[in-house]
Amino acid sequence: MLVAWRYRQRNSLVQSFDPRAYLIFFACFLVSTLFFWDARFLAFFFAIALFFVFTSGIRWHEMSRAWLFIGGFILFFSFLTFLTGRGGMELYTTEHSYFKAVANFTILGWRPTLNFTAERTMYAVGMLLRVFSLASMTILIPYSLNPALYGVTFRGIGLPDKIAYGMDLTMRFIPTFGRDFSLTMDAQKARGYEIEKLSGGLFAQVRKLAPLIVPVTIQAIAGSEDIIDAMDLRAFGIGPRTWLEQLNYRRRDRILIGIGIVILVISIALSMLSIGKFWVPAFLIP
Amino acid sequence: MPANPQLQITDLNFRYHTREELAIKNISLSVEAGQVLLIAGASGCGKTTLARCINGLIPRSYKGDLTGEILLNGTSISGLSLAKISQIVGTVLQDPERQILGTRVANEVAFGLENLNLPREEIRERIAQSLERLKISHLMDRETFNLSGGEKQKVALAGVLAMHPSILLLDEPLASLDPASAQETLSIIRGLANEGMTVLMVEHRVEDVLRISPENAIFMRDGEIKYYGPTSGFDRSVDYHEVKLPAAMIMERAVDDPAPARLTELRENSRLGSLHAPSKDAMVEFKDVSFWYDPERPVLHDVTLNINRGDVIAVLGPNGAGKTTLVKHAIGLLKPKSGEVKVEGINTHEATVAHIASTLGYVFQSPSHMLFAPTVQEELAFGPTNLKHDPERIKKEVASALEIVHLTGMEQYPPLAMSFGQQKRVSIAAILSMESKILVMDEPTAGQDYKNYIDFMDSILQLPSFDAILFITHDIDMAVIYANRVLMVNDGTLVCDGTPQEALKDFEFLKANRLVPTSLLKANLDAFPQTHRFYSAEELVHVLKK
Repeated sequence: MLVAWRYRQRNSLVQSFDPRAYLIFFACFLVSTLFFWDARFLAFFFAIALFFVFTSGIRWHEMSRAWLFIGGFILFFSFLTFLTGRGGMELYTTEHSYFKAVANFTILGWRPTLNFTAERTMYAVGMLLRVFSLASMTILIPYSLNPALYGVTFRGIGLPDKIAYGMDLTMRFIPTFGRDFSLTMDAQKARGYEIEKLSGGLFAQVRKLAPLIVPVTIQAIAGSEDIIDAMDLRAFGIGPRTWLEQLNYRRRDRILIGIGIVILVISIALSMLSIGKFWVPAFLIP
Repeated sequence: MPANPQLQITDLNFRYHTREELAIKNISLSVEAGQVLLIAGASGCGKTTLARCINGLIPRSYKGDLTGEILLNGTSISGLSLAKISQIVGTVLQDPERQILGTRVANEVAFGLENLNLPREEIRERIAQSLERLKISHLMDRETFNLSGGEKQKVALAGVLAMHPSILLLDEPLASLDPASAQETLSIIRGLANEGMTVLMVEHRVEDVLRISPENAIFMRDGEIKYYGPTSGFDRSVDYHEVKLPAAMIMERAVDDPAPARLTELRENSRLGSLHAPSKDAMVEFKDVSFWYDPERPVLHDVTLNINRGDVIAVLGPNGAGKTTLVKHAIGLLKPKSGEVKVEGINTHEATVAHIASTLGYVFQSPSHMLFAPTVQEELAFGPTNLKHDPERIKKEVASALEIVHLTGMEQYPPLAMSFGQQKRVSIAAILSMESKILVMDEPTAGQDYKNYIDFMDSILQLPSFDAILFITHDIDMAVIYANRVLMVNDGTLVCDGTPQEALKDFEFLKANRLVPTSLLKANLDAFPQTHRFYSAEELVHVLKK
């Protein structure tokens, strides 16, 4: 099957919290990391993220594909940033170079230059720490949060009934959508369509995806009429609704939210005092 | 007229804003508590529109001009909100897959009750009650997506029953079920009626519904009621080409009609229909084929069979038995984990799907899974272009495919804007244009009404271009009427491979494979000593007359 739920009950730290508590903590964590470029501070966040990952009970083979994909993506772009030196300009004014190579040609007036500096190195380290921290905390969500609780979780953090139920509905129909997609894929393969052999420019390639995209879209639109009927016929949206599942904050959830808020407040305070902006260790400066 | 009707409709007319003509005209009927009313008719006859008027979707969600009156328990529906109506009329839609909104069974059953803002405790009680009532309490914590078709249907029904309606409206509840599940559903529905529920059932499989003795039946055509009364009078007033009646009823009526020349001719002339002893000229060979996603649970188990020139094969078996998995191996969409599949001598492990497609054309269940092109011409050229046929050849292939499915002249029409029947024909033509030698169809009749699917199958079997045809079906009668060979699959194993008579004669064996003998099968088996082959009901009566 194309779509398989990654969620399982695992008896892990992250699953021991109310999903709302984890999401609120996650939001505090996310905003807090954005205040820092100092690798020492980011290491603190990275350590928290690693702690959650290692206590999540998710086996490597379950999440290896997600990690390889996201990890590859992050490494590639961090490396590009490092090579070009773009992105960190506002954090440092002077650079200490280890190695500099200037091309003897120009491309449209731009002269390619490689300049490895202490500042760029630390900027890349900071970026890796920051993005990997966020990625780790995010990757845990589909593995750890019960899809049946998405709606009530979002309702619980203040979204209106209709939007929160939309989350449930999305979870419900992703596998249906996936099944339609793989049926269409099979049907077109049976007509000699080979997606592996797409060629041509970007536009031509997108056009050649039409045999997949058009039927799947049409199916989704046709199906949505039935879904809307089914919801109308069972009184959806007439007023406030009960949610069968009930979430209860316990002591540990309050503690987690408390920690999240404390981290956020401290981060804001440090940021206002201009602490943790950027750091290059002395031993790196030539 | 009943003294105290639960539902009373007087002079109902409706026209959709998007259309010129009335969808239903002058409908009047009434139903008492504890009765089952069957509403039958071919597609487009207005049954679904009538159902939407009763459950309030018309005019609340579907706009148009509505006149006449509908009373629920004596109260006019026009003053009621959809929420109020939904507590009186419970509706189960045709496709449970699109009706089930919860990820888990308990959430699904709770949906309507949650919307009514009932207290949690009451919701839990009602979930337990309605699951218990349908004897599916064990499904409570299951994920809805992984349920079988029959289970989904019951869960959808439980979700509706939990709202405590007094009228149950079912729109083709049997469409996606295998025969045994259909029978279970029917007996549940009868049970509910016996407990006092009013049941309205829209269905074209009349034969199946008659088994639970509906008190009254309606036959609709062109938006009007053509017959309304006890089911005993149904056979006299209803066109047996439009809904599926029991074989005895059809035979009684068809005996006075001229013999169905088309079908008889087809059997005498067509290469396919006449080949009751197919040649042993194997086009596809399965040898000890096993397949699994999880080695602990094989989906196919040691399947060995050949598809020969001249075969018209019906693949029967319950939902989830492995029928589709079997067929996907023939075209190389799946490759065996052990054993081998050869198509025209080439092992599918060594061939691409595209390569096999030139031998074996696979038509999927729903045309909407494959149609995408802006014109019929482009749709039909897609396959042969992928197979790298040259433009001159493609032109000829497209023209001849269109001619075969009677769509010549419609080259520039957009397939997606055509009627369902035409789309189905375009999807067949899209395979024909690849000049495949074997036609494979997955549930070719699903989603079509009786008349459409009989016409469709008749025309497919008349096509001159295939060496062999194979179709997956739930419908035993399809095997009886059209196949010269039956494969029965259960639990991933090929449990039977023989002529229809050999495969279908033992009713206990059928039951073990979740199939239910039909009246047509019984009539054919009774007549077999004289006929030596199977026929459709209208043919059979004429063959016996001779």
